[in-house]
Amino acid sequence: MTTQTTPPAAATPEVPGYDCTIDELMVVALSEEFDDTTRAFNGAVSFIPVCAYLLARATHAPELVWSASSIAVDAAPAQIPESTLSDSLWDGASMLSNSPFDFWAWAQAGHYNTFAFRGAQIDRYGNVNNTVIGPYNRPKVRLPGGGGMADLSCMIPRIYLWSTTHNPRIFVEQLDFRSGIGYGDGGDHRERLGLPGGPQVCVTNLCVFEFEPTSKALQVRSLHPGVTIDDVREATGFEVLAPSGDIPITAKPDPEVLRLLREVIDPTSQRLREFS
Amino acid sequence: MPKVQSLQDAASLVQDGDTIAIGGLSMNSTPMAFVRELVRREVRDLTVVAIVQGLAVDWLVAGGCVKKVVSGLVSFEGLGLAPRFRAAVQSGEVAIEEYSEHTLVCALQAQTYKLPFMPTRAGIGTDMPALHPETTRLETDAATGRHYLACTPLKVDVAVVHAHAGDRRGNVRVDPKLLWLDNEIINAATTKIATVERIVETSEFTAEPHRTTYPHFMIDALAEVPWGAYPSSMFPNYIHDKDFFNAYSAAAMSRDDDAFSSFWNERVIEPDAQGDYLDANGGAATLMRIARRTT
Repeated sequence: MTTQTTPPAAATPEVPGYDCTIDELMVVALSEEFDDTTRAFNGAVSFIPVCAYLLARATHAPELVWSASSIAVDAAPAQIPESTLSDSLWDGASMLSNSPFDFWAWAQAGHYNTFAFRGAQIDRYGNVNNTVIGPYNRPKVRLPGGGGMADLSCMIPRIYLWSTTHNPRIFVEQLDFRSGIGYGDGGDHRERLGLPGGPQVCVTNLCVFEFEPTSKALQVRSLHPGVTIDDVREATGFEVLAPSGDIPITAKPDPEVLRLLREVIDPTSQRLREFS
Repeated sequence: MPKVQSLQDAASLVQDGDTIAIGGLSMNSTPMAFVRELVRREVRDLTVVAIVQGLAVDWLVAGGCVKKVVSGLVSFEGLGLAPRFRAAVQSGEVAIEEYSEHTLVCALQAQTYKLPFMPTRAGIGTDMPALHPETTRLETDAATGRHYLACTPLKVDVAVVHAHAGDRRGNVRVDPKLLWLDNEIINAATTKIATVERIVETSEFTAEPHRTTYPHFMIDALAEVPWGAYPSSMFPNYIHDKDFFNAYSAAAMSRDDDAFSSFWNERVIEPDAQGDYLDANGGAATLMRIARRTT
């Protein structure tokens, strides 16, 4: 590639006492969810998970499989471009796979097991809207559409959610449209539909959520430094579950891990596009 | 009619009211020169099938060519929403028939294989199937009790894709190999058109037949258009031109209507030949900037 990618014009808050910014903490927290059994790919505008896959692979999960844009197996780009579906993300791949025959076969068969998506709205059961805000036929905002989200949320057992803007407009009681399924109506609904696995965590700019095992509703697992449970409750449009007793603080990233993220994995900070 | 035609003649195969499927995915491998020609011809009332797309749909909407968009996703990726598409759908000026990506693949396969439907697990438990219950039927297999979505055939009048090389017979090669979903639209369509970076001798195909993507009998017309995907990318030859996308979005979202019409006229509509169009967008300097290897 002959052009330099310019960094986006955005800045993110410092995490108090952690020598990093919130985008970096989110990437590190998400990367810690992945291990050597992770076989992942990515869709559109997925800077945070792409950074997290690359970071996990560069640190604690060397056997992790990641296919850039769902096409380029084992890609090792020198930098992340301004689109996570761009072929500029494919450098260093061991295979360029074909979408209909390779990708959709591997996704449906479970050879890929990990997918991350975000949404303009997320509900308590990890269902996501990326289609419309407002009524479907007279939308207030016509969003890009779910693309493969409806498909892959049904097919892939380990789903990871993230949101860079934790507020009551994103975390809503009721989605305007369900573009991608998490645990559906909660409980064993996903299982009854015959769908494998489900969402594992949701990493936001305020906290890390997991899913309460019985109800399958979002439950705070850790709070980012400086964030209280009341902050999370105020920023969430539905009742937030929390463990009884002290809520853990999201772990402090290792300085070497941060260096890798800043200098090697995403040197032009394209992940900040998710915060602008 | 010889298979190798001018871009203008190939584009004239698209009639008002047709259902046209556009190849490529997102910012990649999209037959933008062909799309530009459709806009210049002022084709009307198209139903545009675009599985995961962006600028091609936005141009056709901006040009007033579109009645309905059949798609899973339309955006400019990390560079933002597709502005004209978004405005036209929000105002109701353009209809959208929305399916998930894999549902569209299945509907095209059902059309290709002449089956009443193609089953998939895609979209079960989401609101997607209920958008079009007549074409994506949620069913339960009587024998096993398992749920599936039955995707009915999606009829396509014309498919257009961009590829690297073709010959006078209509053989077409994607180099190094096909990556996106273009074969699904070529297989499903009645009329199949390819634009190619260059026309080569048939001997280049027979020397390496394992590299042929579409055989000649699957292509009805092809046109040689160097840089024919610009400003989308054509892996591995050139990357997308992010400066074009940014400038287009800025003009399209400007409150000043003249800002868009002058951009649209000068950089998209008015240039006649492909070379004029590339010149209007920075010419050699732009091509140097986006080139990944010698084409």
